[in-house]
Amino acid sequence: MENVIGKRVRRVDGYEKVTGKAIYGDDLKFPGMLYGAVRYTDIPAGKITKLDISHAEKMPGVKAIGLYKDVPGEKKVGPIRRDYLPIVNDEVFFAGDVLAVVAAAAKEQTYAAVDAIRVEYEPIEPLTDIEEAVKPGARLIHPEYKSNIMVHYPLIKGDVEKGFTESDRVIERKYRTGFVEHAYIEPETVTVSPDPTTKGFKVYGSIQNPFTTRKVVALFMGLKLNQVNVFGSTLGGSFGGKDDIINNIACRAALLVKLTGKPVKITYTREDSFKESYKRHPYIMNYKVGFNNDGKLKAMKINILADSGAYSSQTFFVTWRSVVQATGPYEIENVLTDIKGVYTNNTYTAAFRGFGSPQVIFAQESLMDEIAEICGITPLEIRKLNGFKQGSITASGQKLSEHKVSLHQVIQEAVERSNYQEKSEQYKKSNTVSRRNKYGIGLSCSYRGCSLGAEGMDTSSAIVSVQADGSVIVFTGVNENGQGLRTTFCQVTSEVLGVPLDDITFLEPQTSTITDGGPTVASRGTIVGGNATIQAANIVKERIFEIIKDELKVTKLEETEWKNGYIYRKARNPEIKPVKFSDATEKAYWAGVNLSAYGWFKGPDVNWEEETGQGNAYFTYVYGCHIVETRIDTHTGKIEVEKITAAHDVGKVINRLGAEGQIFGGTTQGMGYGILEDFNIQNGEVKSLNLDEYLIPTIKDIKEIEPILVENPDIYGPFGAKSIGEPTLELTAAAINNSLSFALGKRSYQIPLTLEQVFLGKNIGKPARQSEVVHASNKNKKITPRLSNIKTSSPQNLEEALQKLVNGKFIPLAGGTDIVVQARHKTESLNLLNIFSFPEMKGIKETGDKITIGAATTFTEIINNDIIKREFPLLVKACSLIGSNQIRNRATIGGNIVNAAPCADSVPPLIVYQANLHLRSLKNERIIPISEFIERHYKTIIQPDEILTAITISKLPDKKYYHSYYQLGRRNAVNITRMSISVMLSFDENNKIDECYIVDGSLFSRSQRITAVEKALIGRPLNEQTISSAEKPLAKKIESEIGGRWSAEYKKPVFINLFKDALEEINLEKRNSEKVSFKDSYI
Amino acid sequence: MINLKFNVNGKDVEITVDDSLRLLDILRDELGLTGTKEGCGIGECGACTVIMNGEAVNSCMILAEQVQNAKVETVENLEKNEVLSKLQDAFLDNGAIQCGFCTTGMLMSSKALLDKNPTPSEEEIKTALEGNLCRCTGYVPILNSVKDAVKKYLHK
Repeated sequence: MENVIGKRVRRVDGYEKVTGKAIYGDDLKFPGMLYGAVRYTDIPAGKITKLDISHAEKMPGVKAIGLYKDVPGEKKVGPIRRDYLPIVNDEVFFAGDVLAVVAAAAKEQTYAAVDAIRVEYEPIEPLTDIEEAVKPGARLIHPEYKSNIMVHYPLIKGDVEKGFTESDRVIERKYRTGFVEHAYIEPETVTVSPDPTTKGFKVYGSIQNPFTTRKVVALFMGLKLNQVNVFGSTLGGSFGGKDDIINNIACRAALLVKLTGKPVKITYTREDSFKESYKRHPYIMNYKVGFNNDGKLKAMKINILADSGAYSSQTFFVTWRSVVQATGPYEIENVLTDIKGVYTNNTYTAAFRGFGSPQVIFAQESLMDEIAEICGITPLEIRKLNGFKQGSITASGQKLSEHKVSLHQVIQEAVERSNYQEKSEQYKKSNTVSRRNKYGIGLSCSYRGCSLGAEGMDTSSAIVSVQADGSVIVFTGVNENGQGLRTTFCQVTSEVLGVPLDDITFLEPQTSTITDGGPTVASRGTIVGGNATIQAANIVKERIFEIIKDELKVTKLEETEWKNGYIYRKARNPEIKPVKFSDATEKAYWAGVNLSAYGWFKGPDVNWEEETGQGNAYFTYVYGCHIVETRIDTHTGKIEVEKITAAHDVGKVINRLGAEGQIFGGTTQGMGYGILEDFNIQNGEVKSLNLDEYLIPTIKDIKEIEPILVENPDIYGPFGAKSIGEPTLELTAAAINNSLSFALGKRSYQIPLTLEQVFLGKNIGKPARQSEVVHASNKNKKITPRLSNIKTSSPQNLEEALQKLVNGKFIPLAGGTDIVVQARHKTESLNLLNIFSFPEMKGIKETGDKITIGAATTFTEIINNDIIKREFPLLVKACSLIGSNQIRNRATIGGNIVNAAPCADSVPPLIVYQANLHLRSLKNERIIPISEFIERHYKTIIQPDEILTAITISKLPDKKYYHSYYQLGRRNAVNITRMSISVMLSFDENNKIDECYIVDGSLFSRSQRITAVEKALIGRPLNEQTISSAEKPLAKKIESEIGGRWSAEYKKPVFINLFKDALEEINLEKRNSEKVSFKDSYI
Repeated sequence: MINLKFNVNGKDVEITVDDSLRLLDILRDELGLTGTKEGCGIGECGACTVIMNGEAVNSCMILAEQVQNAKVETVENLEKNEVLSKLQDAFLDNGAIQCGFCTTGMLMSSKALLDKNPTPSEEEIKTALEGNLCRCTGYVPILNSVKDAVKKYLHK
């Protein structure tokens, strides 16, 4: 029975993280430190004909500009093939290529100099389609390698053609997955300082693999490994993402240090991060499969193309894992897998939690469900029939015998805990009656090789150092990335030495103090680092034992028990007292015994035959099963994930809190992968540049996640532990897709399952970001987003503000939530006039039949106001869905109106309520109906000397009004509204509609009443016939306004659905309960 | 340049800063309060959340001028006399922290909520935290932590 293994343990580095005391890379400062930034290419592919730094060099504060020619060592780097240029020469290969790197005394000076570097190009048409790139005659991205196919792995087992001939059925399916961004919350940061002792460098920052960083920097700078010492800072998330990019940033920073002699910090903006950082590989996967009518798989032929983007990076290893696991955890006699990694001019792709498995699992698990359906068996039956059992042979010919093959066990656990079978029946029934919402349940399962496998040298290091007072220091060659390895290693040490966790500290090592422990990747941290730690701790333990064995009157270590800070005899004897651990160490110290030991773990042998793809790929495997329950809104294509049940065989749980945390986090990322995450790159140009356009799940997108930890201790694992990090992510998207098929009765072959993918069966183009629309004229002028050249003034009162507007050019600043975002994309000086705090522009007043809302009133104030709640429920509902709580605490209703974004959520209800806007200038006040204020997107009739001071709305007449509001967003919070509808109706005494207001949001170029539809409804009773009669004028109106736009194919039918649903909702409310008004029910 | 007077974590501060600085820059670069983090710079991720005049705000969206006379509270104010707040303890007990980069913003959004509403519903907690992105934890342990802190608050 273990003391601390398997328990729920607080993380050992938790204290500094909850107090804000943990030091992350960007928190570091050194005396004399300079700030670095990179100059990106303006085009994705082409020759650089001129690079002019003469202007930039002379700018204030600039200390150095590093170019290709300045690189002292190897100019090309890369983990396997050296094809990546941290600073390019005369050609660019993707949108994130760096032409120059600048250091200046202040951040602002650095950015200004970066923008002042002038470049001329001879552009080349970017090659961005992998299927085109592999065609004979395609332009070669890197001609020196003679082919765009950088890597090709075959796997041949049995005779696939014979297998097809012997099959009852053969089907062929094509699956696609897209680029995915890691979206760690901490953007990349590296600080390098000169190290005069070694004539080299010290490197700090958000580093996933310190030893790799060391190797790459040494290579680039022409140094030996002992001249580069890497110190990882607390890492703000990585997920495989802070490997190559960090090494490359470190190279650039080191170059700047060499050029200036000063420490240099480079911290990326989120835009830099999105533009340059590598992504998950998009795959195009062709699966041809032969099977018998009973569902038995006979043969599988798989062809995969992986988009590697402009550089090879980890593509060699990522695609290798795919080739091993592409057939899934199924016994298939005949397999022919062929995978190719391909160069394009897209963003390069590399390691990302899952590492080549989420793509193939999406395909193969979707396929299994489809085969089951064809054969008339259940998803469970097909997996039971074909799934790996003890002793099964994998596609690569490996016999699974040295570990417990627990595929069926994890499936069983997940099935039981989720009530899979009952739920399946229940949802089937619900779907026969429910029209709008359909319910789905889907399953996926996988096997996954632990650690690096035959792709790399699998070794790791640890040092356990026991001090004279019995306290312990542990450090390892693998790295804490946030996943909790420090805690794991402290627990392992605590267990071996019987020392309380509080007496053990983990030291983040420098690369110069411990041997290269390999990268922290492939879910190998616990298994390899844990083994090394155990070994080190055992060496120390034996040495201590030698000191106290006589005292305990024992001869063998096995006769003792180490726990709670004491060393006991197993055979207890009242005469012989246990030895306190700290007494033993004190004695050892004075006896001159070395209580520091090195642990070294070398993974068991694995092997691989390149030509045939046969061999024992990994020394052990883990098994997992996810069951996902979803609700699909068929009127919009929106998927709601209601529950994820995730069962994983982890070998042995070390820290239950940490293991469950991996499941919560991994499944959530998997859900984002399945539904939301769609890194948008068009013709080589990166369109997703920040977290407003690349959507990851919010807290409102997560409902219930049930983690199940299955334990089958592994002979190779520390205390039997294996892997958990990556398996948790790889299964979720596939299970979601299967649940979607369950719900809709039709299959999807592509992820992410965006609104359009679900509703139309395909993805369509993307909207440009708000800031791009605003600055469309500057589209090609790329600047580093930051705030600069801002002047603010705070007039005492409104009169003074209006006076200022007469005398000069100012932009009024209220909550700042739009202006600050937009200002990051401007470098010209901005004069802002702070009008946020004038009392006359704040608050909500009721005078007679009018309600006045001060323009500087925040949305939080509006949605909590009793008057507004009573009088204008549509406004409350719409405003409560704007941005996030933090945004609503600052953003003002006036700002929302004046910014005039087509997605401004407060505007449609204000149009329904026929609000008037009060525009004050020094000499005048105009009162304008809101419907006349906004001309088109981002354009209003406000004059430069005017301020919107208030919004007045007349109370509704004393009669019953019915309201309906619906806002559609891609996720459940912090959306840019995709579309909204606001409806208000009233009825005459004959139950015929006598007043009608229908306003769109984000559909037309400005929100407006849809009068043709209103006319069609007035004077008629609200019933199905009336509703469908209004459909035609609505369709006509949409067609005439936006018919030609990319988005109309989706927006038109969906808006019509939303319209009908809104009216039906009112109809239902009216019929069901004349007594409970919408207002009351909302409040 | 602006002569700025405001209060941070109970202490009055008077400094001269450039107009282009954001509250985030002032806290991190001028005052050395690096517990507040920058994740996106556009108010999408919430890593920079602090409490200003009682409300959770994104400090990356607040220009220096608007900090004048404000009362600001950052994560550095949560631990008192070496005792962690109930929220901090709950985050540790429930495994709400992995990489920790979103944690300080999560704590400040949670605190702003509990300061106003000591007994929030699950939906109210989610609304308070909807503007704080986390990429590690899947949010479940964070939600559980706030619920746990609420329980401890009620039973104290």
